[in-house]
Amino acid sequence: MIKPNLWILPPSKQPWIMRRNLFFLLLSLFATGCVTTPPENLPRAADLFPADALMIQRAVLTVHGRQFTLNGYLALSKTGGKRLIVTENFGSVLADVLMKRDGKIFVMRSSQLFRPEWIRRYVVADLECIFGDSPQTNCPGKILSPTHFVMEHRGYTLDLQIVETKPGPQPPELFDAAKKEMP
Amino acid sequence: MKAFFIFATAILTLATFAADDATLQSVADPQPVLQDLQHKMSSLGSVYFELTQERHLKLFTEPLIGEGFMLIERPDQIRWETTAPYQSILLGDKKSVAQFEFNDGKWEKLKLGFPQMLQRVMSQMSLMNQGKLDALTSDYTISVSTNSEETILTLVPKDENARTVLAAIEVKMTPDFSATREVVMHEPNGDFTRIIFHREKRDVKFPAGTFDQTKPLDIAAVKTAVDHAP
Repeated sequence: MIKPNLWILPPSKQPWIMRRNLFFLLLSLFATGCVTTPPENLPRAADLFPADALMIQRAVLTVHGRQFTLNGYLALSKTGGKRLIVTENFGSVLADVLMKRDGKIFVMRSSQLFRPEWIRRYVVADLECIFGDSPQTNCPGKILSPTHFVMEHRGYTLDLQIVETKPGPQPPELFDAAKKEMP
Repeated sequence: MKAFFIFATAILTLATFAADDATLQSVADPQPVLQDLQHKMSSLGSVYFELTQERHLKLFTEPLIGEGFMLIERPDQIRWETTAPYQSILLGDKKSVAQFEFNDGKWEKLKLGFPQMLQRVMSQMSLMNQGKLDALTSDYTISVSTNSEETILTLVPKDENARTVLAAIEVKMTPDFSATREVVMHEPNGDFTRIIFHREKRDVKFPAGTFDQTKPLDIAAVKTAVDHAP
């Protein structure tokens, strides 16, 4: 038979232990609360960018602790919409998506690493959060500087920096959904 | 991801090779040329490149340009560094690979996804740097064209799937293989990446820390050492 001790006595027998445990419980809850507090919603940032421009981006995507570097080329047009091309380090296209002004999404190219449904679900969502014209509600992240953004999702983190901005109108073909390339 | 390996392998392995297209003549039997190249490469102890990487996408009116360095030292050390428009270092040897990103004023070592695959790329690179072209001929069909000003090696992937992302690689060199001028990677849709080598120094002694995968020596210090090397 196990003899009662300080660790298995019912709470009523050791009120000071209860108080101590409550302290640790509150401490742990507080600490846990600090860790799991959802990140704030990203403030609207669209005003930081020119209406017409090509923006070159460098990003580190962290998924389950593993990091991948990506390059992004984002063409913005006040009439045509947004076109984002994502490549890996050496230039191979991983994702290519067109967002029209009316909100229609066209996945122009995809890859094994970025499948069409993932592009629609994640890439477009983050694109809208950072560069969208209208405020978004589900954008956990922060703005570290006018050119540095961090999106903090449950499954991944995207640390994105705009490394170069070339203001000016972009070629209209970029925003033509009919110009989709065949695989 | 496959494209990444192909491109990375191409860049990292073939840049140790390297003018105008006029009157280029195809070499009927490329084997002697390849053997000569292999012979010359096998004697190389190290090589230092300063480069410009141009990404030509049909959709954009002008190429997307990056600047950087590639350093190779026998038997298996490689450093690929981008200095503009962002800063990134990729280091590899036979045992491991490492990547660093410059973020908020300091270098951050990444916890790489798929390190074993990058490892494979580096391993192939190492083989190539020792002049073992066999590693390439198993994956590519190699042809050679030449004129008085340049020699171009064209590599076409044998694998059908690989050709869906990479149509061909061109390596442009001086006729005597003393310098690499360009590596161009053509994609099936007409897009291409051109790596232009502005400056090449062979058999340089790199300073300690150049290939350190924990705290790589700053590229400015490497460049200074290379500049002052005999």
